Amino acid sequence: MEQLINEIKLKLIDTLNLDGMTPEDIGNDAPLFGDEGLGLDSIDVLELIVLLERNYGIRLANPQEGKKVFQSVAVMADYVAANRTK
Amino acid sequence: MLTIKRFAAIPNGADLTGLYRNMAGDYPKFFKMDTACKLGFLLAEQLADEARFVPREDRAVLMFSTHGCLCNDRHYEETVQDFPSPSLFVYTLPNIITGEIAIRNKYEGETSAYVLDRFDPERFCSLIEQAFQDVVTRSAVCGWVECRADDDFTAFAFLVERGGNGKEFNAETIYGTVNQ
Repeated sequence: MEQLINEIKLKLIDTLNLDGMTPEDIGNDAPLFGDEGLGLDSIDVLELIVLLERNYGIRLANPQEGKKVFQSVAVMADYVAANRTK
Repeated sequence: MLTIKRFAAIPNGADLTGLYRNMAGDYPKFFKMDTACKLGFLLAEQLADEARFVPREDRAVLMFSTHGCLCNDRHYEETVQDFPSPSLFVYTLPNIITGEIAIRNKYEGETSAYVLDRFDPERFCSLIEQAFQDVVTRSAVCGWVECRADDDFTAFAFLVERGGNGKEFNAETIYGTVNQ
């Protein structure tokens, strides 16, 4: 699981163009959205949905599902591990 | 009379992430910003005084350049053929620099972004003086953020205030300060 968490962090940095950020800057359980976490906002959700589909074959059809899945990197990793098709 | 309270500059090609980690380090949204916004953010951090983080309408933010956000526009254009990146798209307007500074510091006065044909201290000064024509504005963060490429830029800014004990804010002092 630790490997998957690190992989997701790297993909987040690449996909969201977080230039200069390192995986160490992202806490496993830190909220992805809002000022206390990674500082992402609703614009970034689209990028995260595409990230899941392209890299793990997961399609999120329901936006409400995204709210739960994108809570933190750790939550994302759990979801990917349970639902990935590639 | 307008005076210069503080001046800030960032050397061309400076390590912006390193500067962020030294100066702030508590604002992860910095990493999302395009280079022009990072420059504006870091200039505002250098100029920051005791009057931030409490919402205030008497401080304006005015940013100037010739390139606008062209550097980020190019990055965004590269993504269009595949998946147009929303996170890059939001930085394809130069006035987002003023917005990022205003949000970070809670400066709720006027925000304006000007794209000019060249740096002209007379015009720079004149446009800033116009911002002080209203009765609300008491101070302003005023910067020149010229982002030609991610590692090639000119960035400096003044904290200008009405009254104060600093040098008078006029074309001559602007030229002299910038060319120190």
